[in-house]
Amino acid sequence: MSKDMVKLSIDGRDIEVPEGTTIWDAARELDIDIPVLCHSTRMRPVGVCRLCVVDVGARNLQASCVRPCEDGMKVETDTPKVERHRRMLLEMLLSDYPEDSAREASTGDDELLELAVRYGIESVRLPDGAADRPRGVDLSSPVIAVDHQACILCDRCVRGCDELQHNDVITRTGKGYDTRIAFDLDAPMGESTCVACGECMAVCPTGALTNQALGNVKLKPLNGE
Amino acid sequence: MKLLQSMLALQEREGSLSDETLRRLAERTGEPLYRLQGLRSFYPVFREDPAPAHTIEVCRDVVCRMHGAREFRARLADALAGNADVEVKEVSCLGRCECAPAAVVDHHMDARDVDGVMAALAGDGHATPVVEARDAATDPYPDADAHYGVFRRFREGADQERGQVIDALKASGLRGMGGAGFPTGMKWAFTRGAKGGPKQLVCNADESEPGTFKDRVIMETLPHLMIEGMAVGAWVVGAERGIIYLRHEYGQAAEILRQEIARARDMGVLGPDGLGKGKPLDMEVFISPGGYIMGEETALLEALEDKRGEPRNKPPFPTNFGLNGLPTLMNNVETFAAVPIILERGGEWWKSQGRNDCPGLKYMAVSGDVERPGVYCVPMGTTVNDLIERAGGVSGGRKLLAFSPGGSSTRFLPADKADTPLDFDAMQEAGSGLGSGAFVAVAEDRDLLDLATAQARFFRNESCGKCVPCRVGSSKAVTLLDEALGGRPQKGLPGLLRELDDTLAQTSICGLGQVALSPVIGVMDMFPECARRLEDGGSK
Repeated sequence: MSKDMVKLSIDGRDIEVPEGTTIWDAARELDIDIPVLCHSTRMRPVGVCRLCVVDVGARNLQASCVRPCEDGMKVETDTPKVERHRRMLLEMLLSDYPEDSAREASTGDDELLELAVRYGIESVRLPDGAADRPRGVDLSSPVIAVDHQACILCDRCVRGCDELQHNDVITRTGKGYDTRIAFDLDAPMGESTCVACGECMAVCPTGALTNQALGNVKLKPLNGE
Repeated sequence: MKLLQSMLALQEREGSLSDETLRRLAERTGEPLYRLQGLRSFYPVFREDPAPAHTIEVCRDVVCRMHGAREFRARLADALAGNADVEVKEVSCLGRCECAPAAVVDHHMDARDVDGVMAALAGDGHATPVVEARDAATDPYPDADAHYGVFRRFREGADQERGQVIDALKASGLRGMGGAGFPTGMKWAFTRGAKGGPKQLVCNADESEPGTFKDRVIMETLPHLMIEGMAVGAWVVGAERGIIYLRHEYGQAAEILRQEIARARDMGVLGPDGLGKGKPLDMEVFISPGGYIMGEETALLEALEDKRGEPRNKPPFPTNFGLNGLPTLMNNVETFAAVPIILERGGEWWKSQGRNDCPGLKYMAVSGDVERPGVYCVPMGTTVNDLIERAGGVSGGRKLLAFSPGGSSTRFLPADKADTPLDFDAMQEAGSGLGSGAFVAVAEDRDLLDLATAQARFFRNESCGKCVPCRVGSSKAVTLLDEALGGRPQKGLPGLLRELDDTLAQTSICGLGQVALSPVIGVMDMFPECARRLEDGGSK
């Protein structure tokens, strides 16, 4: 074995990968599907949604999208313990999620709702965050609709905008439970330096950033109003 | 550091960071607006709106809550009603728990009642008095001229003596006093052995956990020990500069540390020849833009890199991948300050200072229901009963109900465990932890469920928001707890809280989320009456 390779087992299957490979990537090579919302193969992993947690026998579970494989590691990706925590994480996200997802309603590929079905989440026991503090919508962009209530702060749009496209518009703003995404100095999207490239809505896993129906576009030139 | 320092300087000059101010900064520096917004909105010291003439920050956390902070806040609101020049803000623990209920006027004056606030507003204010730790016994020097003797002796020594320093620290049993208790000698050895450089050196002086104020007292009264410990660390790992990351509420400590750094330069300890002829060593104080999470070592590093202070996923650890990706030696104030005497008198000597087989000396911040709150230097292994006695006993002649041995992240233990020695392992065995040495005594007439909920609320308030379990879970749990304290608990609440706690502990990125609900689960486990109230909504 070359010294730059590490050997480990995932769900009882042995695999050898280059040092520095994440558990999530190693599992993919074995066709083991570890659920994830914040990670995308096109992006630097950030390990924030925690749905990809796996058991490596440590004190706590490890986010597989950011955890490098280690020699001799024994990884379990779908034990009852791991699944229990994934269900609770989904319950947390769903407790704040709007009744209707714009993504599910249009393109039908809402990744949060898909996982909710996969994990059989039928009821949510946690209080609805939108009840007294709704996060609002931003329809100021002619092409992209923003539903802050459907945002799970996965950071995909931030990385898509700032790291993939280098348009440098989107950030997380605020702190703690009040964190949300923002454009420039927290301007409405339509008044920001957004060039409407569409990367953010393409990478968004939920109904937070979706294609806005073209009906909102004014066909007259702006200065002609 | 540069960008955050520019933002701090701009706000100092202009009173706030308006959009206009940030646009100018963006033009000047080439930073994108989104990045400035991310920073402005994350750090509590920054403000977007124009600043009022005066600000009063009132602590809302557990020790001040015990001492009438809510009533204080209400009386202040009455007294200042209609006064548009004054802004009254509730803030997280100010690190002045021995003066509870604590308030800070215009960021530098201390007040603990309405009269004190009014006097400060009228220009007759004062900073928190500098008080020495009681029985401080960790200064090996007879007088100020002898300061830095250990470092000056070592830096002349041969390379192999670096290994001897690490051996002495290992022999001493010294563990990280910031709360995690990681063996100090091992940390120094890891950083020294790490590949890459130049090595970085950081002192974590951001203690912010409710009940914690021992580092403030050490910095204000024994600053030379901390600076010397850092200098020795720099020599051992090979760092050329040290950064002291200080919470912004400790303005007085900042001043004292800057004076001490200047004195160390005058003495030739720091400066162009700090580590020997032609080998520079210098130190600087970095004022944190605020937030408890910054005390988490990787969040702190993110701040020093001008990012939002959100903890990193670990591994890698800072010993290998720290500031700007370089190996970084980071210790807490008290840990660095213990180094000179350990090297002067030997690791075995330090070890022998403890009791009940526990090594060394410990600075405990004692507050809550005791007669004489303050910082006490005690042998590690001193029992809780002895510590309370040292602090004059439970105040008002009351009986002890419970105690929190180490801060908001450590569970309350019942009075019948007060014979437990103050020690990392012993406290863990007893079902709690030594944490950062923030001891809070709770007398018999207190509502423990209310206090444990206040601790969960602190973690909710201070969550950085990066990962789902901490951001969402801590908020949901506090909402559920508040409903229960209001007499309307959700059906099956105790079980649901246990599930939430389990997921936070297992899946959160950092220690904040991992412990956020631990104090609540602790009172459910150890005080059946608390569990019952969460079930049926009854009052105390």
